[in-house]
Amino acid sequence: MTLIMVVDDDQDLAEMLGIVLTGAGYEVDLVNRGDEVMPLFTAQNPDLVLLDVMLPGLNGVEVCKLIREKSMVPIVMLSAKGDKQDVVAGLEAGADDYIVKPFDPSELVARMKVRLRRSTAEVSTDLQIGNIKIDQIEHSIIRDGEVIALTRLEFDLLVALAKEPGRVFTREALLSEVWGYRPATDTRLVNVHIQRLRSKVEIDPENPTIILTVRGVGYKAGVPGSSQ
Amino acid sequence: MKSPFSAWRSSLVFRVTSTIVALSAVLIWLLGSALFNQVSSGIFNEKLQLSILDAQSTSRNTQLQLTFSQYQDKAQLKALFAEILSVPPKTFESAARELAVFGYANTASKYKFDGTSNFLDTTSIKKEFRKKTRESNKTTWERTDLKYVDGKVEKAIIVGHHIAIKGAGKYEFYVLFSLAQQNRTMSLILKYLWLTGIALTFLIGLITFFVLRRLISPIRDAARVAGELMAGNLDLRMDIHGEDEIASLGYSFNEMAVSLQQQISRLENLSKLQQRFVSDVSHELRTPLTTIRMASQVIYSARDNFETTVGRSAELLISQIERFESLLTDLLEVSRFDAQAAILEIEEVDVITLVKETIDYLHPSEDRVINLFAPDSPVLVDVDPRRIKRILRNLISNAVDHREDKSVDIRVVETENEVSIGVRDYGVGFNYTDKKLLFERFWRADSSRARTTGGTGLGLSIALEDAKLHQGEIDVWGVRGQGAHFVLTIPKFAGGSIQSRPISAQPD
Repeated sequence: MTLIMVVDDDQDLAEMLGIVLTGAGYEVDLVNRGDEVMPLFTAQNPDLVLLDVMLPGLNGVEVCKLIREKSMVPIVMLSAKGDKQDVVAGLEAGADDYIVKPFDPSELVARMKVRLRRSTAEVSTDLQIGNIKIDQIEHSIIRDGEVIALTRLEFDLLVALAKEPGRVFTREALLSEVWGYRPATDTRLVNVHIQRLRSKVEIDPENPTIILTVRGVGYKAGVPGSSQ
Repeated sequence: MKSPFSAWRSSLVFRVTSTIVALSAVLIWLLGSALFNQVSSGIFNEKLQLSILDAQSTSRNTQLQLTFSQYQDKAQLKALFAEILSVPPKTFESAARELAVFGYANTASKYKFDGTSNFLDTTSIKKEFRKKTRESNKTTWERTDLKYVDGKVEKAIIVGHHIAIKGAGKYEFYVLFSLAQQNRTMSLILKYLWLTGIALTFLIGLITFFVLRRLISPIRDAARVAGELMAGNLDLRMDIHGEDEIASLGYSFNEMAVSLQQQISRLENLSKLQQRFVSDVSHELRTPLTTIRMASQVIYSARDNFETTVGRSAELLISQIERFESLLTDLLEVSRFDAQAAILEIEEVDVITLVKETIDYLHPSEDRVINLFAPDSPVLVDVDPRRIKRILRNLISNAVDHREDKSVDIRVVETENEVSIGVRDYGVGFNYTDKKLLFERFWRADSSRARTTGGTGLGLSIALEDAKLHQGEIDVWGVRGQGAHFVLTIPKFAGGSIQSRPISAQPD
């Protein structure tokens, strides 16, 4: 059974989340303090973490960094503040997605499902983007014989771009394909993750060759073999 | 180097100093001229008195000499005249004196004699003066020029007398006094007057300049400090010396700065408090709201198991929670604007894409009621896409809500520096006099009908704030029964401003 770790200091909200997620068929672990996350995380090894930003003990952004040091598990931040700084800080710390309170529980579940899905359409052919090989079966990417570790979201983002090499993806298109959003309102999510992904896969993130920016529109895949 | 004109305009010291110098130069010149005229006429009159006395005694002596002389013929007379006329040529210091003698026309030809001393040209004695002398029986005088045959000329006074010689007739007898020495004195005086005048003018200028500078420097200081205060350097104060009026200006200025600083920091604190409050309220309200929402969702999903009234209550609960939520979101946004805590997150985006996405978001259905007229190529602008979309969402959903089954036209027109997005509907419209009120918070044109169309009543006011944050504006036109036209105009580049309006709100 899929295990979800819910980290929120508000006991009632955590309980409610527990009810909703249990109803959706997940197993739920509730944690109320930031500094209690890591021991439990190591012990239980959950499939997804729902993480509040404001936490006693240790704040959500710090917790997010600690988890990322150990695991590529999907992390969805729960943000009570609409403030961008918190959201961006969370994303930069390694969160895959965030959802602003108050949220529609069905939307939360939908997003979690996207984050939890395995790439079902297993394609035997390897994909190529720039000078990077993507092994879809092994779920790994290789640059010059070297394996680069990516979160599942970053992997999905790269695959989405690589699958259609000629297409220019708008941020909205990426949001709906990778994050599973309906008509989207917040495209910063894409910007932050593209930057994170670039810092991992590009040789020179300032002059990207793998994920190219199309001014005023969005992004597209680099041509294989075009690296310097 | 500043041009004198701009120095005149920009420097009080320069202006006042040059005015004072000019005025005192004129005054000194007038005084100097008057003084010079007094002195020169005094010197001349004295010389004239002396000259007349000298001429009188000379002519008397000559008369006596001629009267008592024993001469027989013209040659002897001539020799006698020659002796009389043989005054020593002037030396540098001595007052030069020349003589001239003319025999009357009716003098017996045997004794007729014309002569001058020291090669004096006879034209030195003017004909008019000779006539005047002949006709007068008193001493005559005038100013003249001493002209020598070698061409030398000097200013002089000429004094005329008659000499009568028994048996020979009458002669004109002239004594000419050179004014060379007086002229030298005068030119010396003139030279010193000029020097004194110039030195005086210069000194007055210098003193004025320094006194003014001394006076002005606190004012300059005040201006500089005021400038710094304006630039946000609130800790700066004026230096104060002494107890005079300037010092009291300094004290008042510094007091003003202190009170300004206090006011500003008070307001800053208020603003910070407000922001903190907004952020706290946001957090504190949202967490329970999330729980309520989830709980209501759970209840709502189970509504089929309830009685009809309880089921309906669950529906109402859900919709009112949604309404509460959007109201909360809008209120927080408004208070962020009020606290001036709203920040732009500029990105380069295509406006047409934003418009299309907004239309898709609002009306994903097939039967489109919205017509979009836009250029084929992207219109790239530096904006905060979240805010621009929020404006568009507001304007377009307003238009759709009030269209009354007619279509809605959206136009995108760009110029070099601006882009306008016009949203036109042909529905209920509004009274043009309500134009200003449209953007007021919670204002409703017709409360009885507007309630049913939803909306928080804050949408347009937030849209206007968002537009202003982009240095843009929203123009409005509307007539009851003929629809409304809302035009958002924003500069295309961050930090720009609107120079023209690509779309005017007034329809053609």
